[in-house]
Amino acid sequence: MRVLEFNDVHRAYQRGSEVLRGITFSLEAGEVVGLLGKNGAGKTTLIRVAMGMIEAQKGSAKVFGLDPRTDALEVKRRVGYVSEDQVLPEFLSVGEVIRLHRGLFPTWDENLERRLREQFALSPKSKIKSLSKGQARQVALLCAVAHRPELLLLDEPAGGLDPSARREFLETSIQLLNEAGTTILFSSHHMTDVERMAGRIVMIHEGRLLLDNTLDDLREKYTLVLVPSGSDDRHARLKSATGCLSVRDQGEALHAIFSMEPERCRSVMERDLGIPNAYCTPIALEDMFIELVGGRS
Amino acid sequence: MQLHVNPSDELPIYRQIMRQIIDAVAGGRIAPGEQLPSHRDLAEQLVIAPLTVKKAYDELERQGLIATQRGRGTFVSAQLPAVKPEQRLERLRDPAQRLLSQAALSGVPFEEVLDLLQEIRKGMAQ
Repeated sequence: MRVLEFNDVHRAYQRGSEVLRGITFSLEAGEVVGLLGKNGAGKTTLIRVAMGMIEAQKGSAKVFGLDPRTDALEVKRRVGYVSEDQVLPEFLSVGEVIRLHRGLFPTWDENLERRLREQFALSPKSKIKSLSKGQARQVALLCAVAHRPELLLLDEPAGGLDPSARREFLETSIQLLNEAGTTILFSSHHMTDVERMAGRIVMIHEGRLLLDNTLDDLREKYTLVLVPSGSDDRHARLKSATGCLSVRDQGEALHAIFSMEPERCRSVMERDLGIPNAYCTPIALEDMFIELVGGRS
Repeated sequence: MQLHVNPSDELPIYRQIMRQIIDAVAGGRIAPGEQLPSHRDLAEQLVIAPLTVKKAYDELERQGLIATQRGRGTFVSAQLPAVKPEQRLERLRDPAQRLLSQAALSGVPFEEVLDLLQEIRKGMAQ
């Protein structure tokens, strides 16, 4: 079943320049997808479109087949949302914030609420403004998941947290995944978090979809090729070769990404492109990110 | 059995898990017939997605190394799968090639690679 579906989503800032320039992908039930991109790539805007907080100007977002703008209530009841810049009312206590959320959701699970409150050692009496960043995010997570949402939208949920708070957040998310098989779309700059949680990644760059694949495929079916720069037209030859996603000039060497296994890439270099001494190696997610989006002007 | 994954490793996480379980069986640290943690428990222990552990278990099961018994759990197979004689060496070709490349790069003579293999074998038996 399609839980979330973006279909050619366009959205511009109020000033007019487009943030999203036609994004299309979807999440099946139970999938955990990491959304990657540089700051300003459009990740937050995309997640807000899914939440119905803003509208797609062209194309559409569907959640459980519903329109998040016109079926806002139904969608919000079945979705959990945490973002880095989410603000909880500072003058309220933890208990009051939780009670507020409990009242909004008919499916609220009090056992889960209690369990998470104990796990996070949150005292109901503490005022929100007295909490650390990590604790405040834990309150937000509790409020986002205690109604047992079918879809979780997490926008940099661990942004600004220290490593142990991040790990705790991750552990809780994995427990929840284990219990309910929740579908999750989450954006993060922490590649290791993405690699731990996600089965698939979607990379966007300048409002367009750059890559959509499973993490295992990224490791097994993509290759980083390092080639001595040389004085011939090898840059152009690499760029026009089948399966080449990007070529970057690093001075001494050219870095290219190919969507094929290292083994096959090696023979393509020698036989088809006539480039000897190419070093073909599997590529980690972080390097893939740098090669594909980090180096572009 | 203590497992550990490194998310930034170039080997996919499910393969890291597979390799460590295979190593543990080969080294006798898990006995045939012994029970493995459920894929959900292992996912929580390693802080990785449950589906990733499931993929590793499914693949090991396909290779006949482990077996899931409905309602009881996942166990290391009592009898390790028979490999066709012609496949046996073929399976080792790739890792052997990598080992020899590494040795050549580091300037280690072939005889010392053999010594190393002997030494590791002794270590695994313990």
